[in-house]
Amino acid sequence: MDNMKLPKEKVGDFLAKLGKEKFRVPQQMEGSSKFAPLNGESNADFTLSNTTVPPKSIFYPQTETLYRYNVGETAMEAPGEVDEMIIMGIRPCDARALSTVDKLFTWDPVDPYYKSRRDKATMVGLACQEPRTNCFCTSVGGGPASTEGLDILMTDLGDSYLFQVLTEKGEKICQEAGDILVKSDDSDVQAAEKLHNDAAQKIVRGIDSQDIPEKLPQLWESEIWKKVSDPCLGCGACTFLCPTCHCFDIQDEVEGLEGRRCRVWDSCMFKEYTLHTSGHNPRPSRRERTRNRINHKYSYFVDKFGVIACVGCGRCINLCPVNIDILNILSQVKEAL
Amino acid sequence: MADLEKLITVAKETVSRDDVKYLIGWRQGTYGFRVSPHFITEPEEADKLIFSPLCSNNLATYLTLVEKLPVPRGQEADTRKIALMVKGCDSRAVVQQLVEQGIKRESVIILGCPCQGVVDLAKVEEKFPAGLEQVAARWDDGKIVFQFSDGEKAVPREEVLADKCLRCRYPNPVLADTLLWEEVEAGSSSDEYADVSELEAKTPEERWSFWEAQFSSCVRCYSCRNVCPMCYCEDCILDRLNPTWVNRSNNISENTAFHLSRAFHLAGRCIECGECERVCPVNIPIMTLNRKLTKEVREKFAYEPGTDPASKPLQASYRPNDQENFIL
Repeated sequence: MDNMKLPKEKVGDFLAKLGKEKFRVPQQMEGSSKFAPLNGESNADFTLSNTTVPPKSIFYPQTETLYRYNVGETAMEAPGEVDEMIIMGIRPCDARALSTVDKLFTWDPVDPYYKSRRDKATMVGLACQEPRTNCFCTSVGGGPASTEGLDILMTDLGDSYLFQVLTEKGEKICQEAGDILVKSDDSDVQAAEKLHNDAAQKIVRGIDSQDIPEKLPQLWESEIWKKVSDPCLGCGACTFLCPTCHCFDIQDEVEGLEGRRCRVWDSCMFKEYTLHTSGHNPRPSRRERTRNRINHKYSYFVDKFGVIACVGCGRCINLCPVNIDILNILSQVKEAL
Repeated sequence: MADLEKLITVAKETVSRDDVKYLIGWRQGTYGFRVSPHFITEPEEADKLIFSPLCSNNLATYLTLVEKLPVPRGQEADTRKIALMVKGCDSRAVVQQLVEQGIKRESVIILGCPCQGVVDLAKVEEKFPAGLEQVAARWDDGKIVFQFSDGEKAVPREEVLADKCLRCRYPNPVLADTLLWEEVEAGSSSDEYADVSELEAKTPEERWSFWEAQFSSCVRCYSCRNVCPMCYCEDCILDRLNPTWVNRSNNISENTAFHLSRAFHLAGRCIECGECERVCPVNIPIMTLNRKLTKEVREKFAYEPGTDPASKPLQASYRPNDQENFIL
């Protein structure tokens, strides 16, 4: 399909035509930003860089009810069908994060909760033009205009968004939008490519990540883990707000006789993570927990699924209260051998 | 005035002592205005120590946060001292930990750093968007001077200091083994709890809608709990599963239970270092909640935690003339 353009003054029409209730868009809330359903006219903010809370929360919410039950009965009530969704304005790093996490959730057995949402979602990405200081997507296989995991890539051309249509799902959106979208020509694509290249040039941080997966297993007992985890507070800011962190815990929550089994985000930085019933914890201190966080992303996930489970969004660096900086840890890993 | 030379000399001497396990101070972070806690075991590592308006972290939290792992059979527990650099507010945390017998006096060496106030990073980064370049800062009269590679930029302190510092009444450590430089003038800062009064003036419905929006955005990362030097229960009710006091589900009911439990556990104990609010990734005004309780405690019981090592905890002290008229 040909590339299309959405004039900025027609964004409202576009949302209305496709059905506002379908959209999940980046929004500035009280003190943070996240993807949320549209309400009212249009509270979408496509100028935000990546949101504080990553869009993983749409597909893999912090709290997911697996089923409901009544204590003493055997019947279970499973959650209902998922509606179609359009995720508009997702940044390329976050879209890559979802295709990374797909590998885990569609492994054996396939996770039906996650998969049904992914199947029902059309991903309309927005190329980055102003990477932040701690963005390093280009070091881990991505880029400000990466199309991985996207159905359409949007680029802000000033008075309009260029829609580069990548999949059938993307085509369907454009067909439904009809004449709200206008044809684009080669000059638009050239302009977009220039913006993409300029954005990549603006990325100031990075690391050569190639040899990290093979180095990490050799550093199991290295003193660097103690050093880098000394200041760690053991909070979940880095993991909860990481777009690829996907560890969960399953809990039965009962009020009176009404119960529900739910899945909640868990963090390897918490001290109750992997705590055994016996009281033994194989990761007894922040040293082992920090080592796990880095190894999971840059070694275990690579062994299992062939990709680094870090997309370089920079959130863990931006949000760490004590300046634990994953690029700094990785450069210590590289220097240690 | 912060004397870096003196600081490094004292740190080297301290960390060289046989009875000292390590020293905790601050060092320049990896980018921009960031600073990181610096754990030192060797004298040469002291050269990286700094003390500047960027040193926000309250390091007292590490006195209780560091894991006490089981000692392997045949080995003796390491009872060496921890040396700690403290600002005025940080020292109140140490004092309160001592008052509550959370730590032992002989296990800690307190290096006092009289302080002229630390910055609020959000205020600074609004003026100077954070780049990769590491920027240092210093105090200069009523100004904070940021040292960029292409020159210095001075900003009036009122524009960039953290709110807690603008109303600070304890710029000097209330307890220290060594005072690293001369005390600073306490100034005329007063604290009228304007932020608390503003919320108190609202109707209960308005207040609830304010907190409902705030608590709804909480992701329960527990950075506020973990950074708090007074949150050091070994068995926190938030981690308990049997019984489960607070469900793991993220919803307004559980989030509210979490925030109110946290705030109430700090009644008469919060020393107002503001770390909880500083570290919150979604910027919940946690200190407003804490300060409501601080105000109550100060007005009803004339008690201010972390100011007197010889005092008793609020809940463990009773005076016959304590007010009772608010008890239902």
